[in-house]
Amino acid sequence: MIRSPSYAPRLIGGLAFAVMAVFFVVPLIFMIVVSFYQPDPMGFYKVDFVWENYAKFFSSFYYSVSFRSIYSSALGAVLVVALAFPLVLIVSDLNRTWQLFWIILLLSLMCLSEVIMGFAWLILLSESAGLPRLLEALGLWDNPRSLSPSFGAMLIGLVFLGFSIVALILYPSLARRDRSIEEAAMTLGTPPALVFFKVLLPTFRTSLISVTLTMFVYLLGVFVMPTMLGRPKDWTMTVIISDKALGDANLPLGAALAVVMLIVTVIVLLASALFAKGRRI
Amino acid sequence: MRKLYLWIIAFLLIAPFVVVLGVSVGASKNITFPPEALSAAWYEELLTEAEWLAAIGRSLLIAVIAGVIATTVALAINYVLWRTGSRFAKFTFALGLGPFLLPPIILALGASLFWAEVGWYGRIEATIVSHGVFLVTLPLVIIARGFAALTDEVIEAAQTLGATPAQVFRTVVLPLIAPYVATGFALVAIISVNEYLIANMISGFVVETLPIKIFNNVRYGYSPVVAAASMLFVALTVTILLALSRITDLVALFGTSKDG
Repeated sequence: MIRSPSYAPRLIGGLAFAVMAVFFVVPLIFMIVVSFYQPDPMGFYKVDFVWENYAKFFSSFYYSVSFRSIYSSALGAVLVVALAFPLVLIVSDLNRTWQLFWIILLLSLMCLSEVIMGFAWLILLSESAGLPRLLEALGLWDNPRSLSPSFGAMLIGLVFLGFSIVALILYPSLARRDRSIEEAAMTLGTPPALVFFKVLLPTFRTSLISVTLTMFVYLLGVFVMPTMLGRPKDWTMTVIISDKALGDANLPLGAALAVVMLIVTVIVLLASALFAKGRRI
Repeated sequence: MRKLYLWIIAFLLIAPFVVVLGVSVGASKNITFPPEALSAAWYEELLTEAEWLAAIGRSLLIAVIAGVIATTVALAINYVLWRTGSRFAKFTFALGLGPFLLPPIILALGASLFWAEVGWYGRIEATIVSHGVFLVTLPLVIIARGFAALTDEVIEAAQTLGATPAQVFRTVVLPLIAPYVATGFALVAIISVNEYLIANMISGFVVETLPIKIFNNVRYGYSPVVAAASMLFVALTVTILLALSRITDLVALFGTSKDG
């Protein structure tokens, strides 16, 4: 096909690139720049070049916050994938109507505000409504009290939040999977549990690991669930960053902490990409 | 056994909202479930009090314009990639995937510093633009599926008949990818309405959106109006997605159905 020389695609492409560069890349670069500035208690920051903000990161407080963030995000990510994978496997074999029901349910949950999910669980775990009261009515708990804030409540919030995203990421590949091997195994009388562990898990190992890493990075950045459902000692790095930047108005320190998180994120994503690539060859 | 697992998960996913619904229609000012007496007072307060109405209006305004920005950029990137297939277009596409891969707190803090430096801190335009740019990933991926589904024959037929690239785009490409664009727009609008962290970091003190207002209410002593506002969200989100399922084949978008 003959194309007349045209500048339109280049112009459109250039504009789209400019929008992404100015409003997505420049703010990130500027954040890195600010992380070297001096904090100014009177205003935003003083232009400077100091390592002091990063030096603050290497203290026991931030070590324990980092460890906690990594621990709760990793635990949350593994739980989410462990729960969502079997669900999507089952759902992708349902008839069209029920598939649509599940897709709409999952899409609704993916779109729904973290604030509202946090609020809903807050009520569900509270003393006056929800679970503790139900347990009392059933005679299982004599002296019910609120189940949140606690680490468990925060973890439930994280799993609830990530569930729909992981399910929707896994959905296309699971729905289009080649079912012949499973069917062959079933015909030969292999128990379903064995098919799951010997056929399905190995087949999807790569995508399961990469979706776990994606979820880990996502949960690292969650703000509402730890603040609403967790105790201050459960707070993750995201809450601390927001606290430093907005609460203490120490923007350079907040920026430095965010840059550390950015570096961790990029390392995890690169590892995930390399792993996926290595497996495919 | 399989069915049981489905039902348990469905129950756990829906139960929290049933409780919120119960609280929102309860007459008591204290949060109780199940409600002792029914009342629509909290919905009335939500829809008559100026502060709540203003928050709803702001959130909807941000969502609609951010949706237009995100889908326009996503469409532009996909169109150029489809027409030229150049390395630059591929790079721009990859750049568009970035916001989804990074934790939102990083985007939020970066944007907050950026807008403060530009002098737009606390302005609704800043929230709109950042939402539009950060939520570009979903329409980008969805519209890409639309372009992938285009067959060369229709395009070549139009070109043989003498259509200019602009005419091909308007009369052939656009109608065929319109459902994907609409899906992308709807998802961005819904996510924008629901988004808390970025909106709060950019200009939360001034531009109080609905999620920010709910969060502040929950944190500093809450009333059942919050439950009513939450249910409004749930209803809005589910309604839009149901409407969407009528114009786009969502099952086909996420996978292939078993019987078709």
